[in-house]
Amino acid sequence: MNLSYTDEQNLLRDSVSKFCGSDYDFETRMKSVNSENGHNPEHWKLFAELGWLAIPFSEDLGGLDGGDVDLSLMFEEFGKSIVVEPYLANVVLSGGVLKRSDLENKADLIEQLIAGEKQISLANYEPKKGFNLDNVECEISDDGTISGLKTTVLNAPNADSFLVFGKHQSSFAFALISKGAEGSKVTPYKTYDGFVSGDLHLENCKAEAVFSKSDALEILHQAILEGIICVSSEAIGAMETCYKLTIEYTQQREQFGQSLSKFQALQHRMVDMFMETEFSKSFLLKVLATDDVNERTKLIYGLKNQVAKAGKYVGEEAVQLHGGMGVTEEMSVGHYLKRLLVITNLFGSNDYFLDKYIES
Amino acid sequence: MDLNFSKEDLEFRDEVREFLDKEYPKHIKEKMNNGDELSREEIVEWHKAVAKKGWMGHSWPVEHGGTGWDATKVYIYLRELALAGCPTFVPFGLQMVAPVIWTFGSEEQKKKFLPRILNFDDWWCQGYSEPGSGSDLASLKCKAVKEGDEYVLNGQKTWTTLGQHADWIFVLVRTDDSGKKQEGITFILVDMKTPGIEVKPIITIDGDHEVNEIWFDNVRVPAENVVGEEGQGWTYAKFLLFHERSSIAGAPNMRRVLNSLKIKAKNTYHTDKPLSEDKNFQSKVAQFELDLDALEMTELRGLAAMREGKSPGAESSLLKIKGTELQQRISTLAVEMAGHEGMPYGGPYGFSDVEVAATKSDQISAPKYLNFRKVTIYGGTNEIQKNIIAKAVLGI
Repeated sequence: MNLSYTDEQNLLRDSVSKFCGSDYDFETRMKSVNSENGHNPEHWKLFAELGWLAIPFSEDLGGLDGGDVDLSLMFEEFGKSIVVEPYLANVVLSGGVLKRSDLENKADLIEQLIAGEKQISLANYEPKKGFNLDNVECEISDDGTISGLKTTVLNAPNADSFLVFGKHQSSFAFALISKGAEGSKVTPYKTYDGFVSGDLHLENCKAEAVFSKSDALEILHQAILEGIICVSSEAIGAMETCYKLTIEYTQQREQFGQSLSKFQALQHRMVDMFMETEFSKSFLLKVLATDDVNERTKLIYGLKNQVAKAGKYVGEEAVQLHGGMGVTEEMSVGHYLKRLLVITNLFGSNDYFLDKYIES
Repeated sequence: MDLNFSKEDLEFRDEVREFLDKEYPKHIKEKMNNGDELSREEIVEWHKAVAKKGWMGHSWPVEHGGTGWDATKVYIYLRELALAGCPTFVPFGLQMVAPVIWTFGSEEQKKKFLPRILNFDDWWCQGYSEPGSGSDLASLKCKAVKEGDEYVLNGQKTWTTLGQHADWIFVLVRTDDSGKKQEGITFILVDMKTPGIEVKPIITIDGDHEVNEIWFDNVRVPAENVVGEEGQGWTYAKFLLFHERSSIAGAPNMRRVLNSLKIKAKNTYHTDKPLSEDKNFQSKVAQFELDLDALEMTELRGLAAMREGKSPGAESSLLKIKGTELQQRISTLAVEMAGHEGMPYGGPYGFSDVEVAATKSDQISAPKYLNFRKVTIYGGTNEIQKNIIAKAVLGI
């Protein structure tokens, strides 16, 4: 058994941690949030230059051959500063689909993705269709035209291309669609965590390519599983910041002639927040250290349930212990809660993943 | 002892329903059903409609214009209003400062303020918390110095709900800092139009502007606006807080929200069967209903005691804790139901001109959840309420 990180992994963590620690304070983050793109293009360029966008791709695709462990420690650092740059949407989800796909020009697309020149969004969920990945109405016809409505397409307003998941013949496939393609329209919106998202409307839109006709559903599933590991790691980073901010605040804030942190009832609450964070880290490690594919899948479902619950709890407690200040837009702690709440609801609810865990 | 309504009670219930049917303004009802924010004018319009019927004083003594209803009638009345989705009454005048005025105020103050509160001619707001004085309210520093027949106010209050709409504010000020911190606090009524008052918005995590900072810069207030005795404000402040806390629980409103979620669940699919048939969801709803029943009966017990002339005491802390916990639980349930379709930001400063695929009710679930984080903090945090129960109820 080996639970330690490699030298390369430690270097990566240090480099991400350095960026988040010195170049990504709360004010910088909110500037990104309130900008037109919902993120800072300069940061995105920097991520590309530092090679971060290349991590989960194989060397023959121009990547760094990194795995879930690398992504996970990166996202944990992102979570500590609730970074809004669209890594999940581009690299993990769209990249995750592309790298596993049989799309002919995938090498070109991935190259542009890694260089930060092109952004790509995955469009799979549909309104009122719930969380099951195969529950879609959108149909890609034999000649590659596609009609339908995709919702909460992460980072849609910034996407140059879309990977649209839909029914195809008797199975499923992906359709590659460029921004502004005839018959396509994006309704952009902000999500309450400060990220951007959108609905993708398609009406007889001609796809540039239809791909992975035999195993699209499995590819989508694998990309989402990787996404769950990433957002869970992100949640753990956010939880760590939440309890640290809370300790700091209660030490500074004086009521009844002493620091709030001196009250035992509040100390116990902060201990609980810390414990939830630590046990979440442990569970994440269990997932990362499990090789058996089926066992690992089951554990990822469990991870989503565990971490989402813990994250919401820690975020709520952090706000509560900040008192009135915790619910103001000007304090960072409320923004952590918002992101943690979104993570709770990404890809499916806690109950959904508990059921998936039980069933698999 | 029985829980059945008498024939008279049922007639009264029908009377309330008839009133709501005829007099609850349709455009307000529509906005409330959609989860839209009401303007100041609309909130006033609703209160005026109730005032015209003579039903504003449901918790007031008859001598000051109260309805004189027994506990059952008050319960029926508030329940019908909540079930019809009416806006909750702005409590700062009606339920908070009014009892202080009729209990501790002068005859002139009673004559001047109570009828206008009952008729909602004046909108009141609260000047209690300060940046450095939240849970430890008695440490407040906002200062009032007597000069002739006036007090001169300097300092800052915060978390003043809907202060941007208010005509009057009741303020706790320090008139003496030589003794214990609870001494030397004075309860004073201030016209918001007085020169030197500035209202600064505080934006909360749901993106809304509901609370404010209120700044006082040499604000001159007539001495006749002091309630009761100078230096005795802490006694009145606590009396008011008991009234505030007993009106926070909001069980009937939660009953309405729960009903609407149950209906929505029949058409909400997270998997291939509707959420209403999902065991996890069913047990959450059932547990919520059980807790709500217990809360409602606790509220009724308090109401019955009030009708027998007892002022709400430390027991109101029970209602505050449980009521606000349940409010947060149901707002969480709504967020869970919305799933990822609750992600588009539907708060007050969200999109205005784009048509989003997610339903309006999904989109407002998260802003509501975020807004409800405040309820376990305001009116004295739930942690403080537990201290009060330990000390004043359990005698520990």
